[in-house]
Amino acid sequence: MTRFASLALAMLVSLFAGAAPSAAAELNLFAWSEYIPQSVLDGFTKETGIEVNYETYASNEEMLAKLLSGAAAYDLVQPSEYTVEAMIKEKMLLKLDHAKIPNLKNVGKEYWGQPHDPKLEYSVPYMQGTVGIVVNTEKVKEPITGYADVFQEKYKGRIVILDDALEIVTWALASQGLGPDQVTKANLEKVKPVLTKWLPLVKVYDSDSPKTALLNGDVDLGIVWSGEAAILLQEQPKRFKYVLPKEGAHMFIDNVAIPKGAENVDAAYKFIDYMLRPAVSREISKDFPYTNPNVEARKLLTPEERANQASYPTGNPKLETFRDIGPVAADVDKLITDLKAKSGS
Amino acid sequence: MPQAATVASATTGQGKPPGRTGWLLLAPLVAWALAFVVAPAVIMLVYSFASRGTLGGVVYDFTLDNYRSVGDPVYLQIVFRSIGYAALTTAICLLSGYPVAYLIGRADERWRNLLLMAVMVPFWTSFLIRTYAWVTILKSEGLLNSLLIQLRFIAEPLEMLYTPGAVVLGLVYTFLPFMILPIYTSVEKLEGALIEAALDLGAGPLRAFSRVIVPLTSPGIAAGVLLVFVPALGIFAVNDILGGGRVDMIGNIIENQFKTARNWPFGAALGTSLLLSFAAIYFYVNRRQGAAAVR
Repeated sequence: MTRFASLALAMLVSLFAGAAPSAAAELNLFAWSEYIPQSVLDGFTKETGIEVNYETYASNEEMLAKLLSGAAAYDLVQPSEYTVEAMIKEKMLLKLDHAKIPNLKNVGKEYWGQPHDPKLEYSVPYMQGTVGIVVNTEKVKEPITGYADVFQEKYKGRIVILDDALEIVTWALASQGLGPDQVTKANLEKVKPVLTKWLPLVKVYDSDSPKTALLNGDVDLGIVWSGEAAILLQEQPKRFKYVLPKEGAHMFIDNVAIPKGAENVDAAYKFIDYMLRPAVSREISKDFPYTNPNVEARKLLTPEERANQASYPTGNPKLETFRDIGPVAADVDKLITDLKAKSGS
Repeated sequence: MPQAATVASATTGQGKPPGRTGWLLLAPLVAWALAFVVAPAVIMLVYSFASRGTLGGVVYDFTLDNYRSVGDPVYLQIVFRSIGYAALTTAICLLSGYPVAYLIGRADERWRNLLLMAVMVPFWTSFLIRTYAWVTILKSEGLLNSLLIQLRFIAEPLEMLYTPGAVVLGLVYTFLPFMILPIYTSVEKLEGALIEAALDLGAGPLRAFSRVIVPLTSPGIAAGVLLVFVPALGIFAVNDILGGGRVDMIGNIIENQFKTARNWPFGAALGTSLLLSFAAIYFYVNRRQGAAAVR
């Protein structure tokens, strides 16, 4: 009897062991992995006393899936431009009170008027970047100017590209003169032969760290995020070159936004204003050398950082943002899955 | 082998239902299983009959479209590929793991624990780190290529990484302990007397092995095969890292549906189909084992 009772008691106690009182002031941040330096978060906590709970994701879709499931209430999320568009359409974001974000004036003028959120009513730019071509100049001597130059038979097995179905499809569309706002089932059929020719030439698909294959010498060409390319250029400037494809490159703008249902809205506003401070924004650029939309922060960069062709490309490249493609996303995924399987092994 | 069967049942205490204390001790496990195994499977089943919302949510109407898509040749080819890789991995694990398990099981007391530790120590390191370690070994400027070039065996680096071979290597490496340990448990229970009896009665070492040792260790073999084949079927990380993202398996497709394609109902249909196949394999192996034990 006593053995039974003590066992039952032990079970009951273990049920309640997990319940702990929640912290006083906190911020539930749901952002990309490898995108916010710990020093920035620590600085925020030190100044405001607000604890930051930093959870990460590796894709916009992952973030959307988590938000839609309603599992947790986040105060701040970090969607890319086409995801902001989708979230605005589905009324998932809180309208921003610009009076609470005085540092918004630091954001460059070119980031206003973008199709996904022209008046920055729901989102604030965090970092901008491009998707472009990295060339190992020691191995590849010919000029590479665009997608068509990359996907040639002679480079078979020496190419790394992002493992992102939408990106790959958009490059194929660009090579046929179509834009990222023209992702339709009909156009997918049109680019199927292009992709059938391209994909067997690819050695590695990697969205997490495509610079690894390039650094290892396993591949000589890559179509990667500009931040990855910038790190390559910083580490081995003589070996690598960054080229924006002439057919048209994806310009992505990653933003911060407050989802509806956020519990710590004031903390969220404080963080947005904090991250727009020139010194803090400059700190983010140090670890993640994407294109900083904060013009005041750009003034604080070193000359080498400012000259990095991947972070701040010169010239007049053809850049386009992605649009929300809605249900066509399923067809895009199916097409790439199919072609990958047929070209792989 | 009725003697072996009775030995087994005596040590496992089969045929005796748990008392009140037994059930109380089992209760947390049952509750955990209900909450984290049964409930998610039911949710997945419900999703598999639903449709995809505009933003990728779930719309609860009843449709068989998702299961129809499962039969689509695009996905079937990947299912067959996954089965192929899982079967190959299981076969290689069995052929290489059995001798190791046998040696450890028949080894001296002093060595046995040390050898077992050697098999289990890699588990102390994160599975992902161990997989990435293979990248360091196999890449063009990696350890293996550098060694072979230093020893003048080859002039140019071999392309070992991002190939199907690398994927099989990674899978076998990951799952080998899962084959060795169950077989070891069976080997350890082997009674030397039975083997001696077989040899005395005129069986050569090969026949003693195939007619006596293998059937006696078949529970371990069955467990090992299940423990390797079933998880290998659902793997997505090893082939993604070592195959350069080119060797997509059914696990990757399911992952895609829940992340990029945002087609949860289809992902759920794929998952449910996989779950049912696992159940079918398990029951088949279990029945064959049961039949073998009765024999």
